[in-house]
Amino acid sequence: MELPLHCKLFLDVHLIPDSADVISAVEFSQSGEFLATGDKGGRVVIFQREPQGEYNVYSTFQSHEPEFDYLKSLEIEEKINKIRWLPQLNSAHFLLTTNDKTIKLWKVSERDKRPEGYNLKDEEGRMKDISKITSLQVPVLRPMDLLVEASLRRVFANAHAYHINSISINSDCETYLSADDLRINLWNLDITDRSFNIVDLKPENMEELSEVITVAEFHPHHCHLMAFSSSTGTTRLCDMRSRALCDQHAKLFEEAVDPANRSFFSEIISSVSDVKFSHSGRYLLTRDYLSAKVWDLNMENKPIETYQVHDYLRSKLCTLYESDCIFDKFECAWNGTDSVIMTGAYNNFFRMFDRASRRDVTLEASREVCKRRAVLRPRRVCVGRKKRESDVSVDSLDFRKKILHTAWHPTDNIIAIAASNNLYIFQDRWGMPTNVRGVFVLSFFFLFCLFC
Amino acid sequence: MEYKVEAHRIMSISLGKIYNSRVQRGGIKLHKNLLVSLVLRSARQVYLSDYYGGVCLNAQHVEAKEWELMDGDQEKLIPASEESLPSTTACDQTEAAEVPEAPQPEETDSSLAVEGPEDPCEAVEGPEDTSSTEPQAEQESSSSVDSTCDVSVPSPVVSEPQCEAKQATVSSLDCETDANLAMSAEGNSHQPPKAHSCSNRKRSAEKKASHGSPVKRTKVTSSNADEEEAEEMDTSNVSNLITIFGSSFSGLLSKDNSEPEAETDESDSGSGQICCDQMLKNLNPWNTAIVAF
Repeated sequence: MELPLHCKLFLDVHLIPDSADVISAVEFSQSGEFLATGDKGGRVVIFQREPQGEYNVYSTFQSHEPEFDYLKSLEIEEKINKIRWLPQLNSAHFLLTTNDKTIKLWKVSERDKRPEGYNLKDEEGRMKDISKITSLQVPVLRPMDLLVEASLRRVFANAHAYHINSISINSDCETYLSADDLRINLWNLDITDRSFNIVDLKPENMEELSEVITVAEFHPHHCHLMAFSSSTGTTRLCDMRSRALCDQHAKLFEEAVDPANRSFFSEIISSVSDVKFSHSGRYLLTRDYLSAKVWDLNMENKPIETYQVHDYLRSKLCTLYESDCIFDKFECAWNGTDSVIMTGAYNNFFRMFDRASRRDVTLEASREVCKRRAVLRPRRVCVGRKKRESDVSVDSLDFRKKILHTAWHPTDNIIAIAASNNLYIFQDRWGMPTNVRGVFVLSFFFLFCLFC
Repeated sequence: MEYKVEAHRIMSISLGKIYNSRVQRGGIKLHKNLLVSLVLRSARQVYLSDYYGGVCLNAQHVEAKEWELMDGDQEKLIPASEESLPSTTACDQTEAAEVPEAPQPEETDSSLAVEGPEDPCEAVEGPEDTSSTEPQAEQESSSSVDSTCDVSVPSPVVSEPQCEAKQATVSSLDCETDANLAMSAEGNSHQPPKAHSCSNRKRSAEKKASHGSPVKRTKVTSSNADEEEAEEMDTSNVSNLITIFGSSFSGLLSKDNSEPEAETDESDSGSGQICCDQMLKNLNPWNTAIVAF
């Protein structure tokens, strides 16, 4: 496969893929110009969209390091759990990154000018001999090669006793929330030594614990509304205006479970692994192990749409439990117009569902099938006999290859898919939103492949 | 029975996961351990569900009602294919361990399914055998029944306080408990009572007479094999395992200062486990399934 030069360079640097390179977070900036990825090794790589439409590496920095909590004798992983971009206010870009315990605010800025002509320092920065200075000059800014710097601006630490699973920036651009297994805290972006607890699910007696928080997110427009999902399969909408502590939900989105499908693993597969508000703010997308559901905020008792992502796994739950795959947390995403939802699956497959036409497609992100500018062929998983040669049997699915993290460009049909330590970026062939054409024909071609 | 083999396998896998979570990098993950403990509890209920199925059913009709709600929960956890009654036998075992009677393997089909060469399996089977046959103590106070019944109830919230409150009376529970549990189970499962382990028990003897025979036949068949295993059971192994298990739990609790509750929760999120833990402290070798693992 022909790789662009910069890909090859990157390959040289990271020749031997190891677990530290596994991508654990993917997020487009609010404008879509930048794409940030975080990996298990605590690194963040930011890509910038070029005028031609490709994404190239813009900046790389080490966000988190492994730490050791001496009090609890616990190692704190440096894995990046979530990345969230702040809305851009000036030429610099700000993003929040978090691992299990600490949230950091990074400023990524460009420098393309350098001051020259200091009085006290020479070109190399060494101090001049004062006695030899005979005249004064005013330093001037001269152009230099573009330098992208990432600097740590804030560290929000020591606020979570349990593992942080989500961060979400409020639409007011001043506050954000961070959620761990039992609590959600509200922060001000400028204040690092204080946070307010807005949700606390920790019971008096930990033995009575029955649910944990899995994901939390602010509403995209209403700064007082936030949603959080739990391991019991419920999603709660909380209104921060009603009370300071939002343990009482304003709305509870829960669908009754079909008793015919009860099994040992019913609770595990009903645990919600991701929650995303639609761009419009009207709908909520939740992902549990086997399905993705779209909820209307106005209707709590059942989702308006349910999409089975890989229902053929229902008979394999025991095997998946043994291999820990049943605990995989798949993310989900909306497209810019809220007409298509996307989520990952196994065997490096990811699925898209068009809400209007109810059509869906399964695509694969792997080096074997992705050649530059090639159109992806839809894939199919068959339970019984193969009807087509390209079908993949359920038994031959590779459960080690899972697509947990996906992101959709906020406005365009560009998607970022993280498959282990590889990042794939796909773009819609015609470069137009699918709903404009009126027909759900999704053909993505392989735009850029980066091997981290 | 296949479901029992499956349940046993799931139980051992679950306990292995909980154990491994203690040593994995990054500390114990509360979410995963909570889910694993829920699976463990479901599997345990299924595994022990048929143990006292039909035991003293008639005697416990009265108590059945108070358990309906909880049993509803239990039912949900039982796989569709599972036909056994809720595994209130867990309670029975607790009692049984404390009062080891002559092993009577009537109910042994629940332990039968297990084959694992490991001690845990044997430990599980042993106490089960002994407990299942407790012929006496049927007249124990119903309060004690409640506590043990709670042990196997899936809802931790409900069961825990009761369990803790009444653990003192646990040791006195026995067939009575079994009977109640079995009865409640029966109420939920709507199935003909299975093995009657209390056939030789005073209280429900007459009531079970009508249900006894068909059930007995099934039990006897499986019990023979169980009997052998039961006899091979070394009680000293059981107590060793219990000691080890008990210490491992205390180790679990002390390991993580910041999240001792989390750890405790991980190990005790099931009501049965909580009782188990407490019982371990009292050297009450019940809950063979959990203890064994």
